[in-house]
Amino acid sequence: MKENAASRVVFILLLFLNASLLNGQSPPGKPKLIKCRSPGKETFTCWWEPGEDGGLPTNYTLTYHKEGETLIHECPDYITGGPNSCYFSKKHTSIWKMYVITVNAINQMGINSSDPLYVDVTYIVEPEPPANLTLELKHPEDRKPYLWIKWFPPTLTDVKSGWFMIQYEIRLKPETATDWETHFAAKQTQLKIFSLYPGQKYIVQVRCKPDHGYWSEWSPESSIQIPNDFPVKDTTVWIFVAVLSAVICLIMVWAVAFKGYSMVTCILPPVPGPKIKGFDIHLLEKGKSEELLRALESQDFPPTSDCEDLLMEFIEVDDSEDQQLMPRPSKEHMEQGMKPVRLDADSDSGRGSCDSPSLLSEKCDEPQAHPSKFHTPEGPEKLENPETNLTCLQAPQSTNREGKLPYFHANGPKSSTWPFPQPPSLYNPRYSYHNIADMCELALGMAGTTATLLDQTDQHALKPSKTIEAGGEGKAAKQRESEGCSSKPDQDTAWPLPQDKTPLISAKPLEYVEIHKVSQDGVLALFPKQNEKVGASETSKEYSKVSRVTDSNILVLLPDPQVQNLTLLEEPAKKAPPALPNPAEAALAVSPTTPGNCRLQLGWGLGPAGFMHLQ
Amino acid sequence: MKGSLESGSRLLLLLVVSNLLLCQGVVSTPVCPNGAGNCQVSLRDLFDRAVMVSHYIHNLSSEMFNEFDKRYAQGKGFITMALNSCHTSSLPTPEDKEQAQQTHHEVLMSLILGLLRSWNDPLYHLVTEVRGMKGAPDAILSRAIEIEEENKRLLEGMEMIFGQVLPGAKETEPYPVWSGLPSLQTNDEDARYSAFYNLLHCLRRDSSKIDTYLKLLNCRIIYNNNC
Repeated sequence: MKENAASRVVFILLLFLNASLLNGQSPPGKPKLIKCRSPGKETFTCWWEPGEDGGLPTNYTLTYHKEGETLIHECPDYITGGPNSCYFSKKHTSIWKMYVITVNAINQMGINSSDPLYVDVTYIVEPEPPANLTLELKHPEDRKPYLWIKWFPPTLTDVKSGWFMIQYEIRLKPETATDWETHFAAKQTQLKIFSLYPGQKYIVQVRCKPDHGYWSEWSPESSIQIPNDFPVKDTTVWIFVAVLSAVICLIMVWAVAFKGYSMVTCILPPVPGPKIKGFDIHLLEKGKSEELLRALESQDFPPTSDCEDLLMEFIEVDDSEDQQLMPRPSKEHMEQGMKPVRLDADSDSGRGSCDSPSLLSEKCDEPQAHPSKFHTPEGPEKLENPETNLTCLQAPQSTNREGKLPYFHANGPKSSTWPFPQPPSLYNPRYSYHNIADMCELALGMAGTTATLLDQTDQHALKPSKTIEAGGEGKAAKQRESEGCSSKPDQDTAWPLPQDKTPLISAKPLEYVEIHKVSQDGVLALFPKQNEKVGASETSKEYSKVSRVTDSNILVLLPDPQVQNLTLLEEPAKKAPPALPNPAEAALAVSPTTPGNCRLQLGWGLGPAGFMHLQ
Repeated sequence: MKGSLESGSRLLLLLVVSNLLLCQGVVSTPVCPNGAGNCQVSLRDLFDRAVMVSHYIHNLSSEMFNEFDKRYAQGKGFITMALNSCHTSSLPTPEDKEQAQQTHHEVLMSLILGLLRSWNDPLYHLVTEVRGMKGAPDAILSRAIEIEEENKRLLEGMEMIFGQVLPGAKETEPYPVWSGLPSLQTNDEDARYSAFYNLLHCLRRDSSKIDTYLKLLNCRIIYNNNC
């Protein structure tokens, strides 16, 4: 029974609902608050959007409460803002306070409330458009004509007290154009437009914005007609520009005319061309790289004849009588490359000779007291005699095994071209650099010639040297250079400078021995220099390495990288240089049986490995 | 002959005038270094600078709040929690134009100073905590850092203005202290974001107050209500 009653009630209710639905009556739909806006930060208005009214007359109410209050208020003014709006007057407006606003839709069937809207008046400021936009064409007498646009601040904004700060914006366009020309006017209420096309009708609008808020709507359009005779261009500016540019051109022309080249070089400095000796730019232009490289090759690299030619002037070799070559226990010194020893340019007359102090001399058997004697070698046996008398220039320090100059003994009688006797001091201050190879060549050549003139045994003596040379490595060194360097006493002739000598060394760099001094006996004290970088100090001791002996008995010297410096023998105060680094070299250099001797030791047939030094 | 002479003299005049204009040095407004005792920067310049800085701070605060709202607060309803959450609500600030216009400029300036001082500490912690926030966008962090700096600058300027407008007046009013640091550092992410939202919301509001009061004072004192 009860169940029947309940189901009946439900059925009736459903009937009612259906009936009302069929009638179109229902509680109102949910309204929605659209926006709230404040025109001047003193009042604000809210608008809502009603929902479905449910078929019945629906009332809308707006209720709110403020932040920090619990009291709920109703909208004070539904009219001023238009339909579906609520206007909050000054009395009801608080800044920096949150409003919680709700709109309620009420009809017979029910009430429906919107979602609450949280509003802070500070952030909903949107002013009215500026008012009273006026346009005026002005034609001042001495200036260009322009369009003068004026307006007023929007209503409801208190700008004077600083409560409301406004910025304006103007836009205008010819009536027929599509794009607006916009100008920002900041806080000013007027604007002057100059660039106008005559004969057009212009439309102008203005809008504004608070310091923090939304832009207003554009004001209603104002239009103005520009007359046809409206002047547009201003020619004085162009005249000024033209005259100025003419003046500048004149100045530049004058500068170029008078300064001309110097200015051009100042601005555009000439590009330096390549200055490689033997470098032919034309070859480069032609693009023939092979020819170019060949041209480069044939020049100074490696330095051959030029240096020799230069140095040949200074070499003078006299043959001496007492020169002998000391055999050398040959050990091979397969040093790399034979390099001639370079000598300093001497300050003498330019004659290189074996008598000159700069000649590389062997170790002296005897002190300089011995006159130069040319011992004609009697044969290979003689040469092999380590005791062969070889007059050398020997400094007082010659007894010092450690630091002895290699001497190339070339002494001769006074009649030799070498200015004998000359105090060694004459040659001391300067070191002569001579091309040892050339010098030796000269010496040997001269010796050869003199030998032929004087003694046939010289030739004989020369021959064994050749044979020895041909003997190859490991053989005892025979010194023939001394022979070559020996100068005949009666050789008054100047040493012929081998101007036309054939290159002794085939494309190998020459080394130079430094002529240290010339002894009274006419013995050249040489400083074989291994390295130019080594200071030409008096205390330097150097060894030169004999790379080979040429066919014409010319001693070709190499710089020995392991060469040590030798002290000057003429300076007793000098300390002895350190010992030879290489005992093998020492073996070559020193004859143990003749401690006080100058030895000239060569590596015969060792190729570039030969070297020579004295202890 | 005459024409060329005329044009030549005109040209010369133009050149001379252009030279004069170019050679004219720009006179810079002298600004007193901080701490200089006898310095007399004009009040107008002080107000101009202060208004510029307060305007800038409010812009930054609004942008920072909008950025945070867009990223972290959508659909979360943080606004409901933000009501009555500002630590400066105890200050008796005028709430509309009439009230503000009736407030004496000494009171207004004290209020401004109180607001500025009370925000020193929260701004410092805001920067620190935003840095530590994971995925904190640079837009928020950079603005927070900038606001902290500008706030100090504005405080200095306001103290100078106060010294000039009301020389000898004491302004040792106590200012409200912020105590919202624990809620910024809580582990609960929602609660932490809510705390950030509150702080940024209050910062936006207080910077608007400072800006409005300064502009009012500027027009009132410098321009005599004739802005």
